[in-house]
Amino acid sequence: MGNTKLHTDQKYIEALLQNDTVILNEIYEKFAPKVIGYIKKNSGDESRAQDIIQETLVTVYNQAKEKGLQLTCPFDAYFFLLCKRRWLNEIKKSSSNKVTINEEVVSMDDESVRFADETELFNAKHELFTEMFDQLGKACKELLKVTFTIKSMEEVAQKLGQSYAYVRKKKSLCIGQLTELVQNAPQFNQIKNLL
Amino acid sequence: MTPEEKYELFEKHCSQELSINEKARLDKLIKDDVVKKELQVYKELHVHLDTNFNTENQKAALAKNLKKVGDSYFAKKLAEKETKQEVKKEIKHGVKEEIFEEPVKKSKVIKLPSWAYAIAASVAIVFGVYFFSQGNPTYNNFVSIPELSITERGSAEESIKNAETAFNTKNYAKAEEYLTELLSEDEKNAEYQFYYGISLLEQDKYAKASRAFTKLQQGNSAYKYKALWFEALNKLKQKNYDQCAALLHKLPKEAEDYDQAQKLLEKLD
Repeated sequence: MGNTKLHTDQKYIEALLQNDTVILNEIYEKFAPKVIGYIKKNSGDESRAQDIIQETLVTVYNQAKEKGLQLTCPFDAYFFLLCKRRWLNEIKKSSSNKVTINEEVVSMDDESVRFADETELFNAKHELFTEMFDQLGKACKELLKVTFTIKSMEEVAQKLGQSYAYVRKKKSLCIGQLTELVQNAPQFNQIKNLL
Repeated sequence: MTPEEKYELFEKHCSQELSINEKARLDKLIKDDVVKKELQVYKELHVHLDTNFNTENQKAALAKNLKKVGDSYFAKKLAEKETKQEVKKEIKHGVKEEIFEEPVKKSKVIKLPSWAYAIAASVAIVFGVYFFSQGNPTYNNFVSIPELSITERGSAEESIKNAETAFNTKNYAKAEEYLTELLSEDEKNAEYQFYYGISLLEQDKYAKASRAFTKLQQGNSAYKYKALWFEALNKLKQKNYDQCAALLHKLPKEAEDYDQAQKLLEKLD
């Protein structure tokens, strides 16, 4: 995203990172009505809207935390687009019937679409990684948890009563196995380009 | 090369532990596009696992808070809708009664135009709000600012002394400055964090104060519950009664401010 100037709405991203209640409130006050309106018009209700909003905000948080999301477009359009796509996915999944979608005319600048695309791809990757991690054996899961939460590998080795080299080798094998799982998953093709 | 050896090189690459020889081997290896892509995925997974394992608690706290903020937003929305409908109903009723009573009493009835009812309703609301707010507890009733004393720790560093003087003489803007300086050298110091939060709160810098208190609550210092109590007072100061009460409920019995919190909760009910 180079040197383009940060948008003042970056404050909403920061609020998610800081869990800042005052600004989180502001997010709901400012941006929820449009999302609720859209979801209600498209066979949803307020409680579904609440879920969609919350899930979308967590997704944005994930991306911000892992990739340092730097917003150069307004939050409004970007966020609405993400909620809308998430909702459309949900109704597509849950109903075999054809759903009619009441499209609103909302002007979207390319920048917002680009940001939304990126977040969506990030999320697809995040979900795939999480799913594949679950498929690992118990021993690998535990070893990875310990090696990533305790920063010093010497400490980990000591804790596990093994040598440093041994623990590192084990760790690399577990991530290696995870790498294979990810690459062999059918969803991998969709996110390949992100990597 | 066996896959074991390959992954070990990958791992050393991620943790920047490659020797010169190993780096040369890896460079040769990733001339093959397949291996290069594999390394890319391995690296991404490395970052993913690192971030996830180390932000689990933070993420859970955010999700919980979002649920709360969302709940209160949607509840408020519903309440607003109901109030509007009730006001409408009242206005309708009022008009009907007037019409009904007219022929019976045969007295002179001044028919009020509909906007007059709106005014009457707003006056009623203003009165209601006025009397209601009379009963609400305030931040000043409940806050008790502890004294900052950090110089005794052996070091008579200038900035520590300054912070202490500024804070204890209620010069919170200066205290904020000095504590920021101290925190920049020792950002994990819970005591600095806590007094920094109070300095912000006393200046009505709510969001920043919130951040300082939240950080402490997530930690395990002696200020964990103090910070929770002050975060509740922060909400109280902003007249955010629901959120204040929600935080007070989280305060465990062993917390120093538990009794005060119960008193405040009683008033909030």
